Amino acid sequence: MNITIILQQLVNGLSLGSLYGLIAIGYTMVYGVIRLINFAHGDIMMVGTYFALFAATTFLLPWWAAFIVAIALAALLGVFIDKVAYKPLRNASRISSLITAIGVSFLLENLFLVLFGGVPRAFKIPQVFSGVVHLNGVIIPIIALITPIVAIVCLLLLMQILQHTKYGIAMRALSLDMETTRIMGANVDAIIAFVFAIGSALAAIGGIFWALRYPSINPLMGIMPGLKAFAAAVLGGIGSVPGAALGGFIIGITEILVVAFLPSLAGYKDAFAFLLLIFVLLFKPTGIMGEDLEKGRF
Amino acid sequence: MKKNTIFTISAIVVLFLFLLYASHNFSAYNIRILNNVAIFLILAASYNLINGVTGQFSLEPNGFAAIGAYTAAILTLTPAQKSAMFIITPMVPWLQSVHMAFLPALIVAGLVTAFVGFILGFPVFRVRGDYLAIVTLGFGLTIRVVSNNTISITNGALGLKGIGNYTTLWWSWGWAVLAMIVIMRLINSEYGRAMKAVRDDEDAAIAMGINTFRVKMTAFVTSAFFEGVAGGLLAHLITTISPTLFTFFFTFNLLIIIVIGGLGSMTGTAIATVLVIWGSELLRFVEQPMHIFSLTIPGIPGMRMVIFAILLIIIMIFARDGLMGQKEFSWDSFFKFFKKNKKLAK
Amino acid sequence: MKTVLNCNKITMQFGGLKAVNEFSLEVTEHKIFGLIGPNGAGKTTLFNMITGNLQPTEGVIYFYDKPIVGLKPYKIVSLGMARTFQNIRLFANLSVLENVLTGFHHKLRYGIFDTLLRTPRFVKNEKIMVEMAFDLLESVNLQDKANAKASELSYGDRRKVEIARALATGPKMLLLDEPAAGMNPQETLSLMYFIEEIREKFDLTILLIEHDMKFVMNLCDHIAVLDHGVKIAEGKPEEVQKNPDVIRAYLGDINA
Repeated sequence: MNITIILQQLVNGLSLGSLYGLIAIGYTMVYGVIRLINFAHGDIMMVGTYFALFAATTFLLPWWAAFIVAIALAALLGVFIDKVAYKPLRNASRISSLITAIGVSFLLENLFLVLFGGVPRAFKIPQVFSGVVHLNGVIIPIIALITPIVAIVCLLLLMQILQHTKYGIAMRALSLDMETTRIMGANVDAIIAFVFAIGSALAAIGGIFWALRYPSINPLMGIMPGLKAFAAAVLGGIGSVPGAALGGFIIGITEILVVAFLPSLAGYKDAFAFLLLIFVLLFKPTGIMGEDLEKGRF
Repeated sequence: MKKNTIFTISAIVVLFLFLLYASHNFSAYNIRILNNVAIFLILAASYNLINGVTGQFSLEPNGFAAIGAYTAAILTLTPAQKSAMFIITPMVPWLQSVHMAFLPALIVAGLVTAFVGFILGFPVFRVRGDYLAIVTLGFGLTIRVVSNNTISITNGALGLKGIGNYTTLWWSWGWAVLAMIVIMRLINSEYGRAMKAVRDDEDAAIAMGINTFRVKMTAFVTSAFFEGVAGGLLAHLITTISPTLFTFFFTFNLLIIIVIGGLGSMTGTAIATVLVIWGSELLRFVEQPMHIFSLTIPGIPGMRMVIFAILLIIIMIFARDGLMGQKEFSWDSFFKFFKKNKKLAK
Repeated sequence: MKTVLNCNKITMQFGGLKAVNEFSLEVTEHKIFGLIGPNGAGKTTLFNMITGNLQPTEGVIYFYDKPIVGLKPYKIVSLGMARTFQNIRLFANLSVLENVLTGFHHKLRYGIFDTLLRTPRFVKNEKIMVEMAFDLLESVNLQDKANAKASELSYGDRRKVEIARALATGPKMLLLDEPAAGMNPQETLSLMYFIEEIREKFDLTILLIEHDMKFVMNLCDHIAVLDHGVKIAEGKPEEVQKNPDVIRAYLGDINA
């Protein structure tokens, strides 16, 4: 095994991991503020990808405009789902909103199956994203280089928003105590909508770059990445945004390395994130960067 | 013996007399539906025990039924059948030679599934129950990956064929009645009260000295056992199983049932099982071409699932209690209801 | 006099904040002990450490000379410590009777097989538990509402059911988190008599957090004052009332 291959796989893993990370951020933020596992999150990623496809092929927008439109629409969809399906259940038992979330997830998957069929569609890759670069003999697809950069830029932007804007600060307050935040005069519903918008936009970005990497998309494409991203969010510490990104990187890199160096286990690669999730729950349930969100619950 | 016990026993006798009649006079199609109702009743009641009674949202039935189905089928298939079927990779020797009658195979299927339930519940219940849903969802997806890959045990994507069609109305309804009795007795005991306490307020339950880990585990493992058995019954009803049979739609059906019936009500579950199994037979029309006068509307495959999903969301938002809420049928209220009606009639 | 609860220099640190700092307290048998202090003084954190919901970062807690730090909360209950919550937390969908019955769970005298087979042992013990629960409900005067759903009761009754439920666990010590919160003066007064009464009847030691000064001063035998996580005074009600540190903590520094 030579260093070239290892490097190549590392970049590959980093790129896959940044996709998991982008999706995981949405899970972690939503769980942080309303303690809901948003099962529909992986499906929002799928829907975002379809939006991008249609914007580019049906409406013939240039690729960058198509991506922006898709991301914005996905953000709107996230807010809409929250308004219609989750908000009426804010004060109901937790199980009610979880059931609704699984219902929304199932609805999106099957609605898209009915509308567009289960046959995978080709996602057109813009010229800029195809091709490879040679770095000292290491051959790296351009997309594998761009993806982590996009992810890190998104993460840094988000961290700025969370730390310095009114919304970000209110959001962090909300994740600690919803009632107090409400009493302090913050518009809790607006903050939650904001969280869904950001999370869904990031999921759409994740979806688009997923499609640039694996350019064949179908209505069930969000399930596995969604599950792995959730595992990443728990690994990183649920509620923690940088934790989610870190968790994504760890899961992505390990997955690629396992497949590359233990090819006999390649068939099990989708089971791997699940096992990791179990191990995290067993040994470090608060994750790497997480705090015990239930600490102040009395 | 108490009066109500006599009523219950007579109701069960009446049920089995009906089954006796059905087994001689019903068409194969209708008997199949009756069997389906029984199997789904076992699944839904167990599923409601962990979701509705104990309040721990989980998505395990497809995974657990798959384990039960595979275990039971592997145990009842003869060694000759197995060696003929495993053409890609021969079966592992110790499974190849094992052979059992139907009943012990079902019990082993239940126990194996219960054990898997314990293994899954352990990491989750040590923390709070929140992650149970995603862990069981992940498990359901993983079980497919595993059954596709462990070819020397499951025959991979080819699945298992020629499983004996042992599941008669007696077996399916016998198990359904047993499951209902066990689950109802569990609910109407201190164990059941503790489960409901955990559902209503976990912190307060802990403050009552309740070992919530054990309570949740008891509910989950009991559910797993019966889901395993139900999986075994299903395998011996349809006689061919493969990894694609146990998709998430399987679980989603059960979720619809317990939500319609009322989370926490076994009576509601029983009613809803009949409604949903029957209703989804009726709903098949939406997926077939329709002819209205000279117009032909093409069938839309998958439309049923869209309808189910919308139905689920609407019930959760507008009618969270379902048909029965958390109420249960009891003979006392049954007679009270009739007395009241009589009075009204006068 | 026997020491029931002994907190020895316990500290709770959340990140950089010390919510409770080297707090020591000895609660003696059969006393009603009051814990007061301004909002955010660390009283509830202290409660949660005693009941095992939080692990103190430092220090030891003894309950009847047995160290209890690190024990699971439900274990501590079985040693004889019961609690109520600030914002009454009944099992809303259970009946009043069932709420009380859950308190017997940790000393359950039948097993799963008794339950499934409905053995004589199951029948007998269920009957005994129901009788005991009715006795408890009688002592809080709620036997008539035994079959009502907990969520249907009035506020004052809910508080009583919560206490009856705590008593069902068979405690030697009872921790009450702001029992008079949300009550009018009349209800507060009757609660005061009620707490006195159950102390005698069940031979309890009681530790309570409360904001209502009149309530604390009239009911408690002994009071400790907490401010910014530190104990600033301790003694009989009249001593504490005169303590200048306490006055300053509550009213702010007048000279400043």
